[in-house]
Amino acid sequence: MFSPWISSLQLILIALFWRGIFTVSLTAGTVPLLDSNVPQTLSRSAVITGDSLVEKVEILTPIDLQLSCTCNANPNKLPNVTGFWRKDGIEIDNSRLTVLLEKEQYNLKREFSIDGDNLGNYSCVFYVGDKESRIDFYLTAPEMEGKQDKPVIAYVGDSVTMACKIKHLPNAWIWYKANGTQQELINATTDPLHYKMVVDGNATKLTLKNLKELDSGVYICSAVYNIKASVKQMEVRVISFMEPLKPFIAIVAEVILLVTLILFFERWGSKKSDDLPAENMIPVDQLDKLTQDDNNGMGESNARQRNV
Amino acid sequence: MNGNMSPASASSLGYIAPDGGWGWAVVFGAFISIGFSYAFPKALTVFFKDIQVVFGASYSQIAWISSTMLAAMYAGGPISSILVNRYGSRPVVIAGGVMCGVAMVTASFGNTITHLYICVGVIGGFGLSFNLQPSLAIIGKYFHVRRPLANGLAMAGSPVFLCTLAPFNQYLFNHFGWRGSFFILGALLLNCCVAGSLMRPIGPSVTVERPAQTNGARQRSPADVPEVKVTGRNTCLEEGCMANVDKFLDLSLFKHRGFQIYIVGNTVMFFGFFAPVVFLAPYARSQGCDEYSSAFLLSIMGFVDMFARPGTGLVANTRWIRPRIQYFFSFAIIFNGTCHLLCPIASGYAGLAVYAGFFGVAFGMVCALLFETLMDLVGPQRFSSAVGLATIIECCPVLLGPPIGGALVDTFGDYKYLYLMCGAVMVLAGVFLLVMNVYYYRMLEKEEEIEGGKGCESQNVELGIGVGKRGEPWLGGEEPENDQDTEGDKTRRKGD
Repeated sequence: MFSPWISSLQLILIALFWRGIFTVSLTAGTVPLLDSNVPQTLSRSAVITGDSLVEKVEILTPIDLQLSCTCNANPNKLPNVTGFWRKDGIEIDNSRLTVLLEKEQYNLKREFSIDGDNLGNYSCVFYVGDKESRIDFYLTAPEMEGKQDKPVIAYVGDSVTMACKIKHLPNAWIWYKANGTQQELINATTDPLHYKMVVDGNATKLTLKNLKELDSGVYICSAVYNIKASVKQMEVRVISFMEPLKPFIAIVAEVILLVTLILFFERWGSKKSDDLPAENMIPVDQLDKLTQDDNNGMGESNARQRNV
Repeated sequence: MNGNMSPASASSLGYIAPDGGWGWAVVFGAFISIGFSYAFPKALTVFFKDIQVVFGASYSQIAWISSTMLAAMYAGGPISSILVNRYGSRPVVIAGGVMCGVAMVTASFGNTITHLYICVGVIGGFGLSFNLQPSLAIIGKYFHVRRPLANGLAMAGSPVFLCTLAPFNQYLFNHFGWRGSFFILGALLLNCCVAGSLMRPIGPSVTVERPAQTNGARQRSPADVPEVKVTGRNTCLEEGCMANVDKFLDLSLFKHRGFQIYIVGNTVMFFGFFAPVVFLAPYARSQGCDEYSSAFLLSIMGFVDMFARPGTGLVANTRWIRPRIQYFFSFAIIFNGTCHLLCPIASGYAGLAVYAGFFGVAFGMVCALLFETLMDLVGPQRFSSAVGLATIIECCPVLLGPPIGGALVDTFGDYKYLYLMCGAVMVLAGVFLLVMNVYYYRMLEKEEEIEGGKGCESQNVELGIGVGKRGEPWLGGEEPENDQDTEGDKTRRKGD
């Protein structure tokens, strides 16, 4: 599917034009820094040796974004190739163009108006002959750091803390509790005995105190940006003390049983062999006997040994 | 070297060591105890990430829990030795098991990190030390001919338990959180009591007279530890020692040349012993391997270690090696050091995997022989005191080694120097032990020649009871008038 005959396929992203705010300097509630008439550019370029390239773009606020792709021509240098754009795998209508060869490169540009509803995967595709080469741009809201795929276990009456951290400063942090398909807002101020919420710029922590079993469930922290809110889900399971107690009692019972068995076996074994010399324990008189046989009657030394 | 290897090891037990039978059950018990002792502090690290978040502490603060546990385990050595000398192995191990269990259960209710330090670190660590030393001591009482093998098998508990405890801890954590896991681990540690109950006391069924009346025999309770100390042949040594002898802990060991050599050599060695293990995964990551491959290197090492220990025990038990076991130990240390010196040459993941394999073998060899050589030097009688003193002295380098290694890495920014340092330290220690042991045994031979075999030097000669090939009686026993020392030792050597 991808074109191997293009010896060095270089898809270079030349420029991202957008009007609005540099993502890096976005602070909640501030006025856009830049004059909307002056386009701001941030160029990124990448060189790959394969046939496709993925670029991740994090967008904080609705903007007009120009995506541009460059494909280096192969030795054959066809005068024109077909280029078009896809969104989420589906070809965008009326985007198909014939791209002309300019200075040994094929260029494709398009402007997109991006807001919360049309984030996604935008691809520019070059069809050279019947082979496809493309760059994928993943346009998303900022992603949270860390993943929580396993539930956090906590005990009734105990407390548990959940933390969320993100790279770009959001407008606000909001916590929800999932209730079926609905989401309930958690208001720490109205219920200070139960919840404690701490916001520290890029990070936030929610502490649940005096846990009860019905506190189990999915909690969602949400970082609000102009474009969209970025969420992370965490599951909390509140269990009662009885749960670890069962294996505990089982193991203790096993230990007691084994110890009793071993000591009983030993007692029984030694009772049996009361009349006979024990295999391991050779009474000293027997010892003397043996040594006497071996040592040509070192009775003296044996007596000495015994007395010591 | 055909000289007298470890004359002191031929200490009279006062009875024939079974070398089998119930001894294997004791080995199994020791396997469990030693396994818990060494593997438990390391396996606890699985919980650290979460505990860190819960208590809001830094990683180094949390890591101190493991370090405190290890430190307490080593520092509790002399106390453990005193108790074993007084009460025998069984009660001490059972007490240790109960202590550990209680420690972990109380830790599960903790709310501050100090609580964890005290419960898990101090109390848990002491509990583990009550497991470690007695287990080693009792092997010496049950085995003589097959002792290296028994030691190797028992020490194999450490890697086996580490490989099983680590994933088990992860499973517990996923299902019960850290509190429930600590609670259940407390119950699990009670299995040390089972191990302890297997450690049936052994010895001559004779009432040992109180030490005040005897000629320097250690005080023992009758039902228990068997040290029937032999004879007037030792009186001159005993007289000298008597002034110093603590009834419960044999501090005269510090005068024992072999013991001194052992302590110095091992202390130096331990500086470079554990750091390579700790830094293997970070080193692999710095070479470009991903996290899972780096962790897998440790698994390779652990897996090889599991088989290297009994294997080494088997090899050390052979006719050719047993008499020269001290040199075999020195060889193992030098081999270990050489592995580290060659490590920087290893390139890529395959090279590191090969290094991990060799390191596993070397690590297992050293561990298997570590206590066997001590037993060989001082004899099973004084071993329980010796191991207590040795562990508390070794506590220092064991704890300081990895941080010093870490400082090296931070200063030079390269793991290469860490491995070179560890390798050099270990080769140095191995060479020291080799040279000093050659000197020591030469000196012993000379002294025996001079004194015509009547010398006090040779401590605790074999009774001359058939500890050779099983059942084969010896000729020559502990006849003070005859020059039986060299004979005794030679036959011991022959007997294996």
